[in-house]
Amino acid sequence: MTHPFQCIATVQLPGRDEYLAAACGPKVFLVNAGKGEIASEWSASSLTTATSNGNDDAAGTSERPAKKQKTSNAASHAPNIIKLTVSLSQQYIVAVTDDKVIHVFEITGHGELKALSQRCMPKRPCAIQVLPDNATIICADKFGDVYSLPLLPSDAALTQNASPGAEHVDVMKTDEATFKPSATNLTVHTERNRKALEAQMQQKNFSAKKEPLKFEHKLLLGHVSMLTDVVFATRQVDGKQRSHIITADRDEHIRISRAPPQSHVIEGYCLGHSEFVSKLCLIPGTDILVSGGGDSWLGVWDWPSFKLRRKFDIRAAVLDTIRQDAEVSGADKTDTIKKADKDVVVSGLWTAPFANAKGKQETALLVACERRPSLLIIPISRLMLKKDESMTQTRVGHSVLDVTCIGDSVVLSLDTRSAGPGRLQPMKLFQSSGNDKGAVDYERDEEMDAKLKCLTKSSTDAHADDKALDELLYGVANLRKRRGWGDDAGGTQVDPSDTKRDDNGTEAMDVEDDLTVHKP
Amino acid sequence: MAGPPNKRQKRDDKQEGQMPQKKFYRQRAHANPFSDHDLTYPETPEAMNWGDHYPSYVATVPAAVPKDDPVATEDGNDYGVPRMTKQVEVADIGCGFGGLLFALAPKMPETLILGLEIRTSVTEFVQEKAKALRVQHSPESVPGGYQNVSCIRANTMKFLPNFFAKAQLSKIFLCFPDPHFKARKHKARIVSTTLNSEYAFVVRPGGRVYTITDVEDLHRWMVEHFEAHPSFERVEGEELEGDEVLKVMTTETEEGKKVERNGGTKYVAVFTRLEDPPWP
Ligand SMILES: C[S@@+](CC[C@H](N)C(=O)[O-])C[C@H]1O[C@@H](n2cnc3c(N)ncnc32)[C@H](O)[C@@H]1O
Repeated sequence: MTHPFQCIATVQLPGRDEYLAAACGPKVFLVNAGKGEIASEWSASSLTTATSNGNDDAAGTSERPAKKQKTSNAASHAPNIIKLTVSLSQQYIVAVTDDKVIHVFEITGHGELKALSQRCMPKRPCAIQVLPDNATIICADKFGDVYSLPLLPSDAALTQNASPGAEHVDVMKTDEATFKPSATNLTVHTERNRKALEAQMQQKNFSAKKEPLKFEHKLLLGHVSMLTDVVFATRQVDGKQRSHIITADRDEHIRISRAPPQSHVIEGYCLGHSEFVSKLCLIPGTDILVSGGGDSWLGVWDWPSFKLRRKFDIRAAVLDTIRQDAEVSGADKTDTIKKADKDVVVSGLWTAPFANAKGKQETALLVACERRPSLLIIPISRLMLKKDESMTQTRVGHSVLDVTCIGDSVVLSLDTRSAGPGRLQPMKLFQSSGNDKGAVDYERDEEMDAKLKCLTKSSTDAHADDKALDELLYGVANLRKRRGWGDDAGGTQVDPSDTKRDDNGTEAMDVEDDLTVHKP
Repeated sequence: MAGPPNKRQKRDDKQEGQMPQKKFYRQRAHANPFSDHDLTYPETPEAMNWGDHYPSYVATVPAAVPKDDPVATEDGNDYGVPRMTKQVEVADIGCGFGGLLFALAPKMPETLILGLEIRTSVTEFVQEKAKALRVQHSPESVPGGYQNVSCIRANTMKFLPNFFAKAQLSKIFLCFPDPHFKARKHKARIVSTTLNSEYAFVVRPGGRVYTITDVEDLHRWMVEHFEAHPSFERVEGEELEGDEVLKVMTTETEEGKKVERNGGTKYVAVFTRLEDPPWP
């Protein structure tokens, strides 16, 4: 089995060679795409792993079930890279590993990766971006919060974090750390509060003090929901730049806040999704934001006015691949198609430039759906129309994990774990000359393919088994809510907010400190 | 388990206009604000059917959908809900059995007041009580005739912006919120730095947030967090004179009455929503 590249990114220094950064398990490779050779390589090691929280005493007891143990087991392997991003200056790479650590690298003149810092966040980051100032990282986490950190920590902070394995950090909100729960039976007057206090006293860690994070950080904003994506959006108003942070959550919200130092101001919400939102994508040069998630359509928003311009239906396209799969495997079609609505799970949105018939540059939106072996290509001009649903569907044979543009090539990272070669598939986009003139066509980019061969040799493999890979690569569908626990309106059945089930939810919350999806 | 059939049966047995009995609507005290309850909530505030809750305030002339609405698609952005003559302006978050709501309603007969409560049967109790009070009292006998008060089931920590548009509210009450003593549960508190931004979003500049609790630590926590938030400022002393709802809040909630019976202290704080700063 070959380990796919779970994240890829491009480093494009003007006047220098172009590099492709690719993460394979715990490793990052930097490939000189001009020369076609690996320039450098780095691997995360479990040494740098910090435990998820300071007090591990209760691990394995009934209070800390499965999930906790899994984290400790995972720590014995090298942590996997889950996010990879490049600063606008093309000077730095930021990687996140699944042990919640943010790694910052400098890219030196010869394409070497120089590890600068490692900072362990209190909760698992789910989206990360270096702001256009090339000095600030914003990081959204599973607990619903967005933090900013300096890209390069100050010297003082660095020395404090110097010893590997010493980063036992937990909640970073210092204001919470100063809160001492000192309620006694004297200060509690109602039965309700007395019971709550008793119950909470009985739990361990009642007054467990949180160690605040030792490095500089700011809490910018937060949702009481799992965050799934964050983008930084800037536009001109009256000749001045206005910057925003746009966040998406599992509870169908897209929130538009001002950027720091005014990130406490919420400007508005783009509401309309009826399932989780998993991805956001700004269309360059426009005020258009595209969102995707568990709905069978993409949201096309005019984000400054919070208006939904249209829902772009992708159900038919996804159904198509499902139908074809069913034909191949001989599975019962009606059954698979019935499930299809639930199967539309947008796992990736990207933009890529292409040349139109007149040689002018246009933009296309690329859409990946989780575990679907194709990529949808939609010219932005079509996305803006009211009705036209036509798009190009490339059958790439394997599910698309990540996409990056390098030169005039669009590189897809594919899950070819059992098929072997072809983990990276470079292609070129161009305007169709066929019947559907507006559509985008594609062809394989053989030249780039040859350059990237160095990366797809087996030397870039990593330890993998199917289950672990699935867990690493396909988490988006798990965001879907289980609905219909009981007929609430009727009220005669079990109220989920009022049952043992809910107690379990509360426990899980304590154990993981996360707004976790409680799997059935 | 909530609402075993006989309890439910007894709830249904009452005649129209008869007051609901609390004992048939009791429910386990704590609900987890993080789990996916089977909640119903509108996709957006425009999709909320307020007509069900305030039937007297439904506009008689139905709203016409502008034919040339640039946003309208096949799916429609016309949600088919009736247009209202008034919008909700006062929200009691975690209203419990609604004591404050029913005390406020006649004092603000021109204002729509809404309780938001996460527990199903408690919500139902408040809804039933509002209906009964409407039957028992005409607007001639009691100002507003309780037509201006209702309650919905909601997890306000997640879904406030699904119900209210920017700056829609003039007042929010947070009365005797669950204390969540445990240190690790602070994100579960109904007041936090990040959640306060959502309150600031739905409250208009000049509007007020009222808090009351008998747990001193929680009081300090709420004060610290609202004061630390750039969109809020504490209101004290003279500025509170003449704020009649403050008095009502201190005496009329169910929890407040219990605290009084037990001789406890009630800690009150009021905050005003400031204007947003100019863009930098
Ligand atoms: C201690 S009671 C206070 C009730 C009432 N305000 C009073 O003073 O009598 C707190 C109430 O908040 C409700 N609650 C807790 N979390 C909530 C949430 N996230 N959304 C809505 N209601 C919530 C609880 O169900 C409970 O009824």
